[in-house]
Amino acid sequence: MSNLSFVGKSRKRKDGPDKVTGKAVYSQDVKLPGTLTGRILRSPHAHARILRIDTSRAKALPGVKCVITVDDTKGIKHGFVETPRYPPDQEVFARDKVVHIGQEIAAVAAINDMVAAEAVGLIEVEYEILPALFRPLASMKPGAVEIQPTHPKVDEPYTNIAGKTETEWGDVEQGFAEAHLVRTDRFESHLRTHGYLEPHVTLAHWENDKLNVWTSSMGTFVKRSKLAKVLDLPFSSVRIHKTYTGGTFGGKIDLYTHEYAASRLSMLTNRPVRIVASREEIFSAYRHGQPLTVELKTGVDRNGVLVAQQIKIINNAGAHRGSGVVVIFLCWGFTMAPYRIPNFKYEGYSVYTNYTTRAPQRGHGCPQVRFAIESQMDMIAEELGIDPVTIRMNNARDPEEDLPNSDNVHQAGLKDCLRLAAEKTDFLRNYGQTRKAADLAGSKRRGWGIGLSSYFTGSLIYPNGSGVMVKMNDDGSAVVLTGALDVGQGAETVISQIVAEELSLEMEDIKLVTSDTDTTPQDIGAWISGMTYVTGNASREAAGNAREKLLEVAAEQMNTPKSDLRLQDKMVISISNPDNRLSYRQVIAASVATHRGDTIIGEGFWRTMRDEPMHPSLATTKGRWSENYAFSVQVAEVEVDIETGEARLIKALTVHDCGFPVNPGLVKGQVDGQVSMALGHAFMEEVVTRNGSTLNTNWLDYRMPTIHNMAISEDADVITEQYKVGQPYRTKEVGEGLVSAILAAMANAVYDATGVRLHSTPFTPAKILSGLQKLEQKKAG
Amino acid sequence: MILYDFEHERPGSLQDVAARLAELGPTAGILAGGTDLLPNMRLKIRTPATLVSLGAIAAQPPGTDTDGWLRIDALTRLSEIENSDTVRAACPMFARSAHVVGSNQIRQAGTLGGNLCQEIRCLYLNQEHDFQFVAPCYKRGGDCCYPYPKNEKDFCASVFMSDIAPALIALGSDIELVGANASRRMAVEDFYTGVGMTPTVLRADELVGAVMVPPPPPNSGWGYHKSTIRGGLEFAMVVVAARVALGEDGETCADARIVIGAVSEGPSRARGAESALVGAAPTPEAIAAAASAAVAECRFLPHHNFSVEYLKQNAEVYLRRILSEAFGRAKTGPGKGGQDQ
Amino acid sequence: MIEAVKSRSRKRLITLTVNGEEHEIAIRPNAMLVDVVRDQIGLTGTKSGCSSGSCGACTLLIDGRPMLACSTLAVECDGKAIRTVEDLADGERLSPIQEAFLDQGAVQCGFCTPGMLMSVTALIASNPKPSHQEIKKALEGNLCRCTGYNAIFNAVLQATGQDGIKPIMF
Repeated sequence: MSNLSFVGKSRKRKDGPDKVTGKAVYSQDVKLPGTLTGRILRSPHAHARILRIDTSRAKALPGVKCVITVDDTKGIKHGFVETPRYPPDQEVFARDKVVHIGQEIAAVAAINDMVAAEAVGLIEVEYEILPALFRPLASMKPGAVEIQPTHPKVDEPYTNIAGKTETEWGDVEQGFAEAHLVRTDRFESHLRTHGYLEPHVTLAHWENDKLNVWTSSMGTFVKRSKLAKVLDLPFSSVRIHKTYTGGTFGGKIDLYTHEYAASRLSMLTNRPVRIVASREEIFSAYRHGQPLTVELKTGVDRNGVLVAQQIKIINNAGAHRGSGVVVIFLCWGFTMAPYRIPNFKYEGYSVYTNYTTRAPQRGHGCPQVRFAIESQMDMIAEELGIDPVTIRMNNARDPEEDLPNSDNVHQAGLKDCLRLAAEKTDFLRNYGQTRKAADLAGSKRRGWGIGLSSYFTGSLIYPNGSGVMVKMNDDGSAVVLTGALDVGQGAETVISQIVAEELSLEMEDIKLVTSDTDTTPQDIGAWISGMTYVTGNASREAAGNAREKLLEVAAEQMNTPKSDLRLQDKMVISISNPDNRLSYRQVIAASVATHRGDTIIGEGFWRTMRDEPMHPSLATTKGRWSENYAFSVQVAEVEVDIETGEARLIKALTVHDCGFPVNPGLVKGQVDGQVSMALGHAFMEEVVTRNGSTLNTNWLDYRMPTIHNMAISEDADVITEQYKVGQPYRTKEVGEGLVSAILAAMANAVYDATGVRLHSTPFTPAKILSGLQKLEQKKAG
Repeated sequence: MILYDFEHERPGSLQDVAARLAELGPTAGILAGGTDLLPNMRLKIRTPATLVSLGAIAAQPPGTDTDGWLRIDALTRLSEIENSDTVRAACPMFARSAHVVGSNQIRQAGTLGGNLCQEIRCLYLNQEHDFQFVAPCYKRGGDCCYPYPKNEKDFCASVFMSDIAPALIALGSDIELVGANASRRMAVEDFYTGVGMTPTVLRADELVGAVMVPPPPPNSGWGYHKSTIRGGLEFAMVVVAARVALGEDGETCADARIVIGAVSEGPSRARGAESALVGAAPTPEAIAAAASAAVAECRFLPHHNFSVEYLKQNAEVYLRRILSEAFGRAKTGPGKGGQDQ
Repeated sequence: MIEAVKSRSRKRLITLTVNGEEHEIAIRPNAMLVDVVRDQIGLTGTKSGCSSGSCGACTLLIDGRPMLACSTLAVECDGKAIRTVEDLADGERLSPIQEAFLDQGAVQCGFCTPGMLMSVTALIASNPKPSHQEIKKALEGNLCRCTGYNAIFNAVLQATGQDGIKPIMF
């Protein structure tokens, strides 16, 4: 594929100049005259019945234009998942009872921030406090107070079960009986948040029977569908405008009440209404990730080859179904994709607790589950006297294997990743050396750890597919209409590269109109790890469609068959007689003249798994999940201070099979960012709560990595020239899976440095030090 | 914006500021760099009706008093302290402690006086209080303590987190408080009360004028460490600071000042550990014993999700390390300034 | 609790020189510089990320110093010179720092970028060849969640002609 000019190249960001000059417009930058300030009244209780809401004093306050509660809604529910089994379960404001601290009770619109704040304080709510539950095991217990009804199809005597995923194959009991070694371990993960720099903000303006919305999101079409639904408006009456988004990482998908509230308040006041969430509000009332407990029983033969595996996952899922039932499905997928497991039993429970509703978070369960599996893999390897690379090689899937759900891994580069990662880090020479060495000087210890992971590339969930239009202009330049949203991943750049490639245009010849629900075709959005694959292929189709039209007209005009034509520098050139050529300008003019005004517009559409009717069952895992699996192996080199327990990631190597990298420079950016996020996950970040309240509600006390914590991040892919042949659009996920294996690698590296095995995140100094002290005590007898 | 109205005045001299503070009483707030006060006003942790700004008053450059003490104007910005050749030469620990405060932007705005008078911190206090922890705690003029519900009235168990105060105390520095009618001077150590409600002795009609650091004793050395999780843009987990001096023999410890900060309502001097060191040879064993004794005698509160057990372990290790460094410097000279090596 | 004056405080007229242009603005004392720059002067390049001085997205230069506009009262800036991200490029020509950010892939979502650029601009103005540690100290107050800082760090090295760092994006 050496003749590619744009695809496969590290082209600079299309949105770069606007973003370095301050011209890029984010939702918080949109200003409309006469805008009112909206503000939300939130529950101070984690679980309480609402006996009375009185908004009269707030309404009477001068400067207040409108106050709304659940009584001003149509009572239409929404949910992250909306399926027959998991119907929507959330209202935009609390009705009858509140189930988490910060739940929305009412919203006001006022002439300024100060009046809005005062008005919120004047709303009277009378509560009857109910017992609140924060630990899933307590919440599940038969007879526990009911936060939400247990799912009707869960027939176990548990309370507060939002949903369950279960699946099995083979015979695990038989497998364990035949296994040479069986281990059972339990791993816990903690509450983290996304840490998007741009706070949630929505500006809504109801004007001429049309709702115009600017909101910080991960997919405008998903927002439109949910917002229109709860407002009971036709989709055509709701327009989500394009703005850039200042980071999401999972935290801006789905409908948020501030979006509804700004919209409804605007409809009732006929004025624009803006609601901005404060950072403190985001920490204490908005959605975070999902802490999972992973119980893992694994049986292997003498060579460490998996014979049977049984997993039980319990998700502390917050007060609504949210994406909790998706996580327990995904964890199954993240388990079965990289290793062959002949006998398998999986149960995942998503359990309601009185925490805020949960959101997807980059990796969506993958880091938690890979942390468990890859940690245990090292434990098993050590017991068997096998090295960490070999045991993984003995279990890793080969190319072209079918998965238990009848997906196929195609050109899975997992084993290549393992080989290359081990080679580049000299892993087997480094691993184990610190623990073997006697009487090391000083207090710093180095350790190396490895982990691997697989991630899906897009699945089927609304809106399922992406459309793209390429409009040729008279001069041969092109305007691309795409619903893709650039949240930082580089969607605009990648789409431009693809269109430039297919139409032999320069990047500068292409302008994009993006992510506006009225003017661009529907798009899956920036949240299901499939944009480069799905929208990228729709872009290729659209550009290809325009190219075909150009060629057709040119062939007529140039009296030569289409097969004799090639495109170069906005010219159509005859291969047999290069002097016979027409510029795009000429071809388009001819098209208008001879094809009844056709200015040449290309259309393209793409959907993953074209023959699958719908997404797989979240409850049973039946049905296909994805048609492209990405694979990665990551190696961490950490340093631990054995006197203080302080640990840091020094260096990470990421070796990945992300399919054909359309823009290697952007891939590198994703790798570095995920390594950084994972090291925050491992060593620094935790949302600290007490009885459902967040204690650290700012970025001083919630410690995301700073530039001081930057690790050396190296990466390599296993995409050979052979792999690339005919595959320039066979792209795979690279934006969220890479937070996973590196987390496990860091845990394994801490073990390698110290002998301390970590069963829970985060790897705090206190935890590591206490582990070291226990080892000392053991040594002392 | 700050969601309440207040007045703002900008007097032209320190005396005028002090006079206005005397007139306004406790409803006034002193605005210097604003990096502590303004975020706290946004959260309504502080709600002064009038801000008396020091913005019109220029800081005097660092200089040496006739008694040989280094004088730093309280209005000096932390970025100037960390980069000042004078401060770095005369008391590198002071420069070092300024260098590790907050972030560059915080140090560009924040002043020495502001750092020394910063509000105590508590996870339950540093909140928006819109819907959680709404009822005001003792510190906010209310009637409860969230982390310690059994605390008696007006007992605020919180943490004072200045990175600089421990260094100044270890250096034996004085502080000058300017009032409308009189100024007073005291040891920085005595400026802090160890009481969460009123962490300093500063009266409503006073402000900090300057800090004076004495010349170091002969054969002295320093050690300082701020423990954090991420190395910057962060309040401390633990701060430890020490200044030691060797006797004329160069072998025995003649003087030691050991301070632990950021773990209770005020910086604590470990006097027991200090006196155990004086007269002894600073062997690793003696240093370890001193570190252990210092941790044992100082008050620790759990804070910011760190247990007392871990805070003590961390403090002890770093005390050991900084005492070794301090004695090392005492033997070989103070070495380079307070910047990262 | 609030001992605020019952009647609203009087507005006052301040003069700000923003990116070389003088603006006379009427504000109350509780107006923050970030809001005045973004809403009254209309320069929205400066971002508002946390309102509490803990992310650095609102970093701009006040009399040449990198400061947090969210923790600065506008009234305190009367008579001062403010410089924002909008002033870095010379017309269509980007500054070497801006170019280096694009060359290194140091921009993703772009929300930290304006503040980051202002911190780097202040650093290089006073220290044309900053050491690795000096770069980190200058940028420690600017959070970035997308890039892991590696590309940003390299962009500063490229812009200052150090360590032989060459563009990776073209």
